Amino acid sequence: MPALQSAGERELAELIVTALNLEEVAPADIDPEAALFKTGLGLDSIDALELALEISKRYGFQLRSDDENNLRIFRSLRSLAAHIERNRTT
Amino acid sequence: MAQQRFRPLRVTAYTVCTAAGIGRAATLTALDQRRSGLTRNDFGPSPLATWIGRVPGLEQQALPAEWAEWECRNNRLAWRGLVADDFAEVVAAARERYGAERIAVVIGTSTASIGASEDAYRRLEPDGRYPADLRRPIVHTPHSLGDFVQHALALRGIAVTVATACSSSAKVFGQAERLIRAGLADAAVVGGVDTLCGSTLFGFNSLELIASERCRPFDVARHGINIGEAAGFALLEREAESGAWLLGYGESSDAHHMSSPHPEGIGARRAVHDALESAQLTPASIDYINLHGTASLKNDEVEARLVADLFPSRTFASSTKGWTGHTLGAAGIVEAAISLIALDNGLLPGTLNTEQLDPACGPQIRRENEQRRVQRALSFSFGFGGSNSVLAFGRGDVR
Amino acid sequence: MSELPSVAIEGVAFWHTRLPGWTIARAVMCGEQDAPAASAARPTPSLLAPTERRRAPDTVALALEVAARACEAANRSPAQLRSVFASTYGDLGISDYMCATLAGTPTLISPTKFHNSVHNAAAGYWTIGTSSHASYTAISAYRYTFASAVLEAATQVACDGQPVVCVAFDVESKGPLGTVAPSRGLLGAALVLAALRSESQRGLSLRIAQGSAADITPARSPAAPLVAENALAPCLPFFEVLAHSMSGNVTLALSDHCLLHAQVS
Repeated sequence: MPALQSAGERELAELIVTALNLEEVAPADIDPEAALFKTGLGLDSIDALELALEISKRYGFQLRSDDENNLRIFRSLRSLAAHIERNRTT
Repeated sequence: MAQQRFRPLRVTAYTVCTAAGIGRAATLTALDQRRSGLTRNDFGPSPLATWIGRVPGLEQQALPAEWAEWECRNNRLAWRGLVADDFAEVVAAARERYGAERIAVVIGTSTASIGASEDAYRRLEPDGRYPADLRRPIVHTPHSLGDFVQHALALRGIAVTVATACSSSAKVFGQAERLIRAGLADAAVVGGVDTLCGSTLFGFNSLELIASERCRPFDVARHGINIGEAAGFALLEREAESGAWLLGYGESSDAHHMSSPHPEGIGARRAVHDALESAQLTPASIDYINLHGTASLKNDEVEARLVADLFPSRTFASSTKGWTGHTLGAAGIVEAAISLIALDNGLLPGTLNTEQLDPACGPQIRRENEQRRVQRALSFSFGFGGSNSVLAFGRGDVR
Repeated sequence: MSELPSVAIEGVAFWHTRLPGWTIARAVMCGEQDAPAASAARPTPSLLAPTERRRAPDTVALALEVAARACEAANRSPAQLRSVFASTYGDLGISDYMCATLAGTPTLISPTKFHNSVHNAAAGYWTIGTSSHASYTAISAYRYTFASAVLEAATQVACDGQPVVCVAFDVESKGPLGTVAPSRGLLGAALVLAALRSESQRGLSLRIAQGSAADITPARSPAAPLVAENALAPCLPFFEVLAHSMSGNVTLALSDHCLLHAQVS
């Protein structure tokens, strides 16, 4: 049974599904601890750039592609939502 | 039905205009003197921090009044190219010989005049219409360029614009060769023009492919491309007494990803193989390769390994994008022209701006210029969307 | 000179918002049935993997639909075919997006939309979706786009004897760009051309000659008013001839002074 999403995770899940046009995925069904990239949702590097753009527009801060913590930040819905929570300005 | 075999065509005239120089002589001088045409980006209302290959003076030089319908930066640069090295006059003489309907126009571009559409959106009328000076439909289509070139040269036959991203103005050579081989034309004006615009600068920026400093092809510390603008043209003829030869070409697709090359360079290798086969050449007979060498992390890695695998160490290979920037839709013709300049002058340009070659490079990829007799050259163009084109040029007795 | 050896038309495909498929389209062209009243939703590019499929804009969905249907009709494996992709305007929705975003917030361009904005996007997606290393070209020739595409495809067959899929498409314009680049609905069409092997095949003979717009064959069928406002509408007279099983001639414009005479057997 996948872990439950927090409100922030749910909002991020909806952003991901909309931004990346994940037609066959319901936001509520994204397991917050499952992988986002390669396995799990199977996102790729273009998706990472697209997400970074949408997150910067919505939450008002820049995700940097040369951040050495990116593997950890982008690992799962939960880790990304937590990073947003720490850094958002809007 | 009998198919005719490919036969070499003469390149009886060619010209090239880039940030490095207007015309062949200026380009040769810039190559010889290692003088880059790259400058800090000052293009547009809020320029990105990068370097560009900008052709000076286009803002001051409107098209002649008879071409007002096609007025836009891209066609201004096209016109600069057509008048350089008396190219338009050479075509006019060919038009007399063959007839205006027997010379095909096959021109490549990635930008066409999208810059004019961008400009219109910044100056919309209150009712959402374009400003009056930009209400010229031909300018807002990809064929803006091919159509302008056909009209400017008073030609009346086949005219088409090829838009396959970075391979556009290399593919035009093969497309024109087939028209001539099939008997639909006796000669062809091929070439390409791309100009600076927001779409490419900010578009490549969104993919994090733009370098903040001068681009450094094949450098271990490279971090992206510089965008340039350019115009170039060549006249291909079935029968002629002089000029270098288009000896062959190879084309393929990567079938991998829209914006990343195939990691093993499968498509690129196939294009190299097919070009050599059509030209009846071996890797050992190639004196010079003008590489695609954009200074992007991925392209240069794949290309370096391909060259190291396929060619002997005496083959001189370099990227000249440090002189011109990546001229995208015009890269094919620019680098074909530089290959022809190398053949004509025995000057092999190295790889400008590059300090330390990536370990993936073999002995073929050179930083410094050399003077050497050049008989056979290849030019590589590997584009977005996985479109690959390799051209083979030569001089002397080839039949 | 100025004429190509005959080639075979091995497969035909057609898709318009009101004529979604060659079966319906040719029946309407022949007066055998009325066009459906409702507009069809854009086709789903099922040959793309999920990652590419969710990124595919209208032009790609449309182009891949007709390309795939033409290959099926020709009983040819797509991966073996070279291809010619052609569009008058490319993806007008994305062009509108790019210009509008550049006018407002240029550093916030969507990387997905940018990489879909290249004129060869449909060709790129096609070769990725079919795992084809065969070469493609992507061309444009304004109102002469379809004629140029057919000529290019037939020229390739004439030179190298290998089959080629020719794919043309134009979509609906959006935003201010639509005031100078008008186009309505989705219209796509494709042909598989190959070396002529027998008289039982549908043949195509092409010849070019000087002439003016006054000489081109007008579209006459009930399909004409339906597709008239799409930028690719100049292709319709060609398909009206194909819709009938007997021979026919059609003249298309190839450039301002140049005509393409096509004889279909």
